[in-house]
Amino acid sequence: MSEHPSYLRVLLTFARNSLVRDMTFRGNFLIDAFSSMSWVFMNLGFYVLIFEYTPMLGAGTGWGKYEFFVFLATTLIINSLVQTFFMTNADEFGELIRTGSLDFALLKPIDTQFLVSLNRIEWSSLGNFAVGLLLLAYALGKIDYSPGPAQLVLYPVYVLCGVAILYSLMIALAATSVWLGRNQTLYDFWFYITNFSRYPMEIYRGPFGTPLRRVFTFLIPVLIVVNVPARMLVRPLDPRAPEDFLLPIFAILATIGSLAASRWVFGRALLSYRSASS
Amino acid sequence: MAIIEIEGLAKSYRVYQKKEGLRASIRGLFRRQYRTVEAVRGIDLTVEQGEFVAFLGPNGAGKTTTLKLLSGVITPTAGEARVLGHLPWKRENAYRRRFALVMGQKNQLWWDLPAAESFRLHQQIYRIEPSRFERSRDELTSLLGVRHLLSQPVRELSLGERMKMELIAALLHSPDVLFLDEPTIGLDVIAQYNIQSFLRHYQELRKITILLTSHYMKDVAALCRRVVIIAAGRIIYNGSLSGIINRYGGQKVVSLQFIDGRIPADLARFGEVILEEPPRAKIRVDRRVVPEVLSGILAGYSVEDVSVEDPPLEAVIAEIFSRNGEPPEHQVGQIPELLKEE
Repeated sequence: MSEHPSYLRVLLTFARNSLVRDMTFRGNFLIDAFSSMSWVFMNLGFYVLIFEYTPMLGAGTGWGKYEFFVFLATTLIINSLVQTFFMTNADEFGELIRTGSLDFALLKPIDTQFLVSLNRIEWSSLGNFAVGLLLLAYALGKIDYSPGPAQLVLYPVYVLCGVAILYSLMIALAATSVWLGRNQTLYDFWFYITNFSRYPMEIYRGPFGTPLRRVFTFLIPVLIVVNVPARMLVRPLDPRAPEDFLLPIFAILATIGSLAASRWVFGRALLSYRSASS
Repeated sequence: MAIIEIEGLAKSYRVYQKKEGLRASIRGLFRRQYRTVEAVRGIDLTVEQGEFVAFLGPNGAGKTTTLKLLSGVITPTAGEARVLGHLPWKRENAYRRRFALVMGQKNQLWWDLPAAESFRLHQQIYRIEPSRFERSRDELTSLLGVRHLLSQPVRELSLGERMKMELIAALLHSPDVLFLDEPTIGLDVIAQYNIQSFLRHYQELRKITILLTSHYMKDVAALCRRVVIIAAGRIIYNGSLSGIINRYGGQKVVSLQFIDGRIPADLARFGEVILEEPPRAKIRVDRRVVPEVLSGILAGYSVEDVSVEDPPLEAVIAEIFSRNGEPPEHQVGQIPELLKEE
């Protein structure tokens, strides 16, 4: 008998159990999927409106209407994946710490970070994922430029890198509940941070924008989450700036760095965990 | 073979001392006062393979903290502990596959799903072979009489049924060591009895090592030959259940029934009269003078019935608890003032 469980099997069981649970509360599931999808459509309408007044997001940036829709679709795909797999779990992690229910996770012969991070899968968020894919296909069809095979292969890789960076940030943040006792600002913080990742990085310039761009590229690398895969697919600027080659390399390093940092914070948190009354 | 070896194990917490009132709360934002709570203050204990040991102690004595330390849920401030040769707080999978912790106050099953789904998850996490898993699951659910409830969502089960499912979840991987933290808390007498019988049967069958904390003397009396009493983070007694009475129950209760239906007025010269309900009376006497008391009474009065009993175990234990962890040497030889019986 092997000492390690099959992580894939456990993940599939999590997915299955979550689905069984979601189906039990069918109404809740449908409302969830519907409300988040309507938020997406309202957002989309807002950008359609903006492009009624301007052909491009910032003069000379190359982000025209459909290029930007590819960017938007990428945001949607990445965020929906994070929400499907990690958001509820990170949120619940704080609660597990506060109530002492993390005890049970620590008893199991399986990686605790894996168990805590993927325990519940939010199937209703996959509605947005589908919308994202449709928008991506639609927008790509409207652009003259069509991506080559290398770009099509690298795009999902960088989408996953983006998901990993956002996940790392989220789980590290949730782990701080161990020291703070309570950290309920997760959703708020999430919204503030991802707000910066929602726009092409070219818009961050000038005396205020440049420092922002540096901070959110190198310190908390949320700017590269969407920018790298989206730029790779639509090449808003041609010929390309030198950073278009450097950024993807940096993105890989940032992904590894973020995951390692989150694992470190998580490990420290578990060591400081003090459980709660019986 | 010693399965659990504990040496000088200690755990203390720093807790924020919150004061009452708004003004104090605001002051607490800037200047916090902390207090150190010593939950466990240096415990030494050895438990052998196949023992069923009870941890007794008042709330906050350090019982649960000790179980959490032994499960590796929390890390100690000082001291050593080895369970099955492992350092628990290293949280190695090799160790975690071999023990289980059941807490009566917390549940680990998926609330909205049938227990069967949680069991399947356990099968995968512990990597239990399908045939062995099915055998254990069927055996445990039959023994506890909950087989027909497997496909009912956990939130729809009664407390007793849920506790049985929690136990099954903990035993599916056939642990060698089982930590039970108040497994019968809040259960009715029948459910308590069922769980006791199950635990006794299972332990006799599998010869696993069990540490149990409970507030119910009936659990302890039914299951454990060895009792460890913890008070204020220290072990103050470690021995057999009957030994507690011998050591701490310095008095006996003599029940008398008088033929003429009247209770003699001078009964108090033999001991403290704790019940006068003609024709019955009860007096409490030092156990060392029981023979003299009995011969005195039998010689002087017409007695229809007489019996000599130990004081109730609860009363003895409550007395030990109330002294709250003075070192045992101060207690030996003292005759505790027992709680009044009704």
